[in-house]
Amino acid sequence: MLLRSPLLAIASRQLSNKKRQTFLTISGIGVGVMVLITSISLMDGILQSFIRKIVDNTPHIVVGSDRLRPLTPENLADSAAGVYVNLIKHVEREDDDVIANYSGVIAAIMTEAKVSFVSPVVLVDEVAAFGTMTTPLKIHGIIPSVENNIERFSTHMTAGVFEDLERSPDGFMIGASAARDFPVRPGDRIQLTSAGGELISVRVTGIFSTGLNEVDNNCYVNLRMAQILGGFSSSQVSKLYVRVNDLEANTSIARSIEGKTNYTSATWEESARGFMSLFRMITMIVYFLTFFVILVSGFSVANVLITNVLEKTRDIAIMKSMGYRKNDISMIYLAQGLFVAVIGAAAGSVLAFGMIEILASIPIEGSKTGIVRSDHLEMGRSVWYFVAASCFAVLISLLASVGPSRNAARVNPVELLRGER
Amino acid sequence: MNMPLLQLVNIRKELSIHSDGQTISTVILPDVSMEVRRGEFAAITGPSGSGKTTLLYLMGMLDKPTSGSIFLEGDDVTVKNEEELAGLRNSKLGFVYQFHFLLPEFSSLENVMMPMLARGRYPLATARARAQELLHLVDLSDRLNNKPNQLSGGQQQRVAIARALANDPILILADEPTGNLDTKNSELVYRMFQRVNVESGQTIVVVTHDEAFAGKTNRNIHLVDGEIVRDSR
Repeated sequence: MLLRSPLLAIASRQLSNKKRQTFLTISGIGVGVMVLITSISLMDGILQSFIRKIVDNTPHIVVGSDRLRPLTPENLADSAAGVYVNLIKHVEREDDDVIANYSGVIAAIMTEAKVSFVSPVVLVDEVAAFGTMTTPLKIHGIIPSVENNIERFSTHMTAGVFEDLERSPDGFMIGASAARDFPVRPGDRIQLTSAGGELISVRVTGIFSTGLNEVDNNCYVNLRMAQILGGFSSSQVSKLYVRVNDLEANTSIARSIEGKTNYTSATWEESARGFMSLFRMITMIVYFLTFFVILVSGFSVANVLITNVLEKTRDIAIMKSMGYRKNDISMIYLAQGLFVAVIGAAAGSVLAFGMIEILASIPIEGSKTGIVRSDHLEMGRSVWYFVAASCFAVLISLLASVGPSRNAARVNPVELLRGER
Repeated sequence: MNMPLLQLVNIRKELSIHSDGQTISTVILPDVSMEVRRGEFAAITGPSGSGKTTLLYLMGMLDKPTSGSIFLEGDDVTVKNEEELAGLRNSKLGFVYQFHFLLPEFSSLENVMMPMLARGRYPLATARARAQELLHLVDLSDRLNNKPNQLSGGQQQRVAIARALANDPILILADEPTGNLDTKNSELVYRMFQRVNVESGQTIVVVTHDEAFAGKTNRNIHLVDGEIVRDSR
């Protein structure tokens, strides 16, 4: 029966009269929308999981040992006043790559309102020997209970118990990526060499896996052990890891710490800048390619509508003669564009929903060299992917309908209706 | 009130044909003046190319004259814009063509309802009841839900007539309405027009080649080369 709106009825019946073409067009839009949603989910999922893992498992701010202003008196005199000092260094300062009197620096950092935790870290590169195997390792000396507030090892243990590290002065914890080439188990003993050439034996207490290769390539010992290995005094550390409770204020906190301590401070955004900009570029390329998939489905919409208009010029003429206005006629074909877009977008959304779940369930081999390690694809899930892709498809389809619907509105009834000229 | 329903004053219609970069202008109607009175049942006849169809489309406001004025109920329609003309066609005029031109996707009933729904003049239920009445008037009560391709040529043309009557027009214009029909169906169509003319007093102007049809109307306008050579009541 006739729908309440004759224009919509005409639009839908013309479409359903050409089932095959209409179906193919809807399929085209559906596939386009599916590909777009899946791509957004994939790219956003990777980015979000990276950010989440970074924010949860790495320091928000790293205070390094480089000083903003050198301690040596290069600038004793004001050179603008025409006075110069010629300084000859006979001895290089050796404590330049350490943070001296670290507890004083921590106390200064803790005066920042939004800082939750500060953890001292000693970095040592060591060659470790286990049985007949030797391998270079990046060893971090930490106070486990403090560092756990920043890198959250206790929730990422795959073997052993995290607390054992702090309980045993010779404890040694190894990341899953490092453990691949150096297959030790809790309880195994490893030989390390101290700065003074002395052999030190440590005992493996646990293996952890955060999913971030940067972290999982590392090994952890107690702070004092690392100081001995690296020849640090007990008041010296390499870096301070800072966790804040307001990520938005990250940058201003880092600058403020620099002001208070004179040590350079980098936020995780600054450290990850290279990766983030590369990732943004890849994302743009993916979206750009996906854009063409939808664009092609727009051509398909235009094609169907142009055919419909050409085949229906006589009907359009008769409708005009009975008093339908130009806008009414345009509406018929704009509505057709909208119909196929909405149905196509809905179908594409359903397909994308399934596709995302399928992709998320495919197991993948974790790599040691990537930034984020995962045993499956990290697909993002948000209703906005669907909304954005559907709106885009509808927009393209409506744009494709504008030309044909204008042509339809321009049909001159006289030329078509007269029986005799 | 003795105002004519439709009045054509010094109507001139030229057609421009573009070919090979040249524009050739052909005069179809050099200077026609005439009027149609309320309640008339008029036939316009004439040889092919005499301009009778052009005259009908000018009356129907589907085409505009090159010069001259057309008054519908005293109102100059040549100065109106396309939207206004569409409105007038919808409310005051009904068209029947040589070919039925029914919308193929819709049933007889729906086709007849189409003009009524164009401007939301009738609610859906009223439009449906009215379309049923009109199809009853053209003896097609048993074909309400048939699509055009399920109807014979004569039946299709009768649905088209019912559609022309949909908005109770004051003027019905028909272009060779029997041109495609056999004698029996032509007679049927004639009787429909006559009935509408007599019973509802609606004015009808028919362009026709059909001498028998023209002979039965109450006014004959004969056109040769765009000029009215005979106008007999």
